[in-house]
Amino acid sequence: MSKIQFPFPFPEHLSIMVPEIFVAAMAMAVLLWSLFLPKEKHTITAWMGIATCAATIPLLLSQAGSIGLMTFYGFFILDPFAVFAKLLLVVATLVAMVLSIDYMRGEKHMPEYYAMMLFTLLGVMFMASATNFVMMYLGIELMALAVYVLVAYQREMLRSLEAALKYFILGSLSSGMMLYGMTFIYGITGQFDFEAIGIALQGVGEDGRFAMQLGMLFIIAGLAFKLSVAPFHMWTPDAYEGAPTPVTAFMSVVPKVAGFVLFIRFLVEALPVLQHDYVQVLTVLALLTMAVGNIAAIAQRNIKRMLAYSTIGHVGFVLLGLIAANADGYAGILTYMTIYLFMTMGAFAIIILMRRDGLEGELIEEYAGMSKVRPGYAFAMAVMMFSLAGIPFLGGFWAKYAVFIAAVESGHVVLALTALLFSAIGAFYYLRVVKYIYFDEAKHDFAFRSNSAVQVVVTVSTIMIIALGLFPGPLMEICHQALIGLV
Amino acid sequence: MLEPLFFNLFGGLAILAATLVVVSRNPMHSVMWLIFCFFNSAGLFFLLGAEFIGIITILVYVGAVMVLFVFVIILLDVNIARMRAGFVKSLPIGGLMALMLFIEMAAAGVSGVFSSATMGQAVQFGQEVNNTAEIGKELYTRYLLGFELAAVILLAALVGAVVLTLRSRKDANYQDIAAQVAVKKRDRLRKVRM
Repeated sequence: MSKIQFPFPFPEHLSIMVPEIFVAAMAMAVLLWSLFLPKEKHTITAWMGIATCAATIPLLLSQAGSIGLMTFYGFFILDPFAVFAKLLLVVATLVAMVLSIDYMRGEKHMPEYYAMMLFTLLGVMFMASATNFVMMYLGIELMALAVYVLVAYQREMLRSLEAALKYFILGSLSSGMMLYGMTFIYGITGQFDFEAIGIALQGVGEDGRFAMQLGMLFIIAGLAFKLSVAPFHMWTPDAYEGAPTPVTAFMSVVPKVAGFVLFIRFLVEALPVLQHDYVQVLTVLALLTMAVGNIAAIAQRNIKRMLAYSTIGHVGFVLLGLIAANADGYAGILTYMTIYLFMTMGAFAIIILMRRDGLEGELIEEYAGMSKVRPGYAFAMAVMMFSLAGIPFLGGFWAKYAVFIAAVESGHVVLALTALLFSAIGAFYYLRVVKYIYFDEAKHDFAFRSNSAVQVVVTVSTIMIIALGLFPGPLMEICHQALIGLV
Repeated sequence: MLEPLFFNLFGGLAILAATLVVVSRNPMHSVMWLIFCFFNSAGLFFLLGAEFIGIITILVYVGAVMVLFVFVIILLDVNIARMRAGFVKSLPIGGLMALMLFIEMAAAGVSGVFSSATMGQAVQFGQEVNNTAEIGKELYTRYLLGFELAAVILLAALVGAVVLTLRSRKDANYQDIAAQVAVKKRDRLRKVRM
């Protein structure tokens, strides 16, 4: 047997993926170590998870300067874009874990919950660095499998199981569609590396054009499912409502960020030839998504369902950045995702604090009169809602501004105006929550839990949204910097 | 010389086994015939020189999938009589499908597009090329990262499956050693006035 020679310095090159290796090792360490812990001390695993995320941040920051490093035969890329995305993902996981500490206390199999979160994080980190179909699919599957389990975690509750089952079946279907699309592209080009596909597709004539478009359509449909883009959004409200609230917060940020990052890389590197075609497809999807998200949310009485439709609506706005198909658009997506992370996490943190008798404050009416009892939380919730609605000058305004301007500059004026209209419609249901909080009489007693960890999340999110609203410049600048080497 | 003989042996037995899968009254017998069928088709792969696929067919289909089938049949306790009751009712649609499939395959066979002259010309490498070794080399060099990530996916799926299905039965008696050791005399003994 001949000795295998890697075409790159083997152990040294592992430094490119140190954060991933660390997260994977810690996920397994959490699994193993929990076996030696008595049941009462299982909360330690939560802190292990949080410490893992916190330690990953400096590891990622140390890689911030590296541009276009590849390893493992080009299966893994490290560029500022991937690093920025991974930072967002790690921060979102960290916050979701902090929200979980109190919520999941007393649940069975608590250590595995945090291990599953770390596995999800690992999957999305690989998605952010994926350069070919193999890593793209494997990353998505790792993320999806772990999230299915997280959604079903409160398995004694019927709605949790129902949510997980719906999510699982539709998720498997979408994976199948994506794989089917990949076979078309692979069949035409004989390549599965994004850049190689991009080059090979230039040489495809009119004969292969239809197969090319078909492959693109199927892959976009598969990704659209993961991002809950209408008409592939059906699972979202049920899954959001049935999942434990910290998981809802987690899955409304982490898979979306990773999905958009992968989407951008795929479109930019593999499909520049088909730009005209995918812009048309995405325009239709964006219009549908904005309509479904913003109009259906009005009818919701459950705040988790409302936020599910709100996510759909926001995804529709973010699609404008993809449609713009230029550096401004992609930077706008990163800006949007950063601000969206804090808005969503803050809003869900308050929902978790409202938890009462196992079922948390889920009906919007239950928030009536909150301003008189807890003015601090009321203010925070109002800030989140105003920001989600896109009221100037809070973070959410700049998020929308960034993608709308990018769309206008690339010539999609009508689309941007339509988005503005839907944004105005969407403001109605956000402001309704504020109306309940400030102008209605309390119908229920408020039983807020005193939970300092969650309170920290609320405070930090509120400060971040106000701060980003007042000084959006630095964030936008960083997001533009993150695209060096990609666009 | 012996190749056509073995091809006919494996192929014929595979067809026979596949027929018996369909006509057996006992579902357990069907599963057994299906296993037999898989072994024979693995033999065909060996004849083609694709020993890796042959081994994988046996390992995955016989070793994993069919064992799963056996368990499903045991657990489901299939009632044959009731299944056969709907035979006439679903005959038209089922028969139509079978007919279409038959016409499709017959047409494809007659058309000559799929003749063995144009297809199935496996490139014959020399003696020094070994299927399994080549696949192994590719898997552990070029596709190493994907291979490792797939392993993590399996681990996550395994843990997830256990988390979602493991439940401690309330009616089962477990031994709690700590409680046994910590027990005091007054917990167990009670003075009763006679």
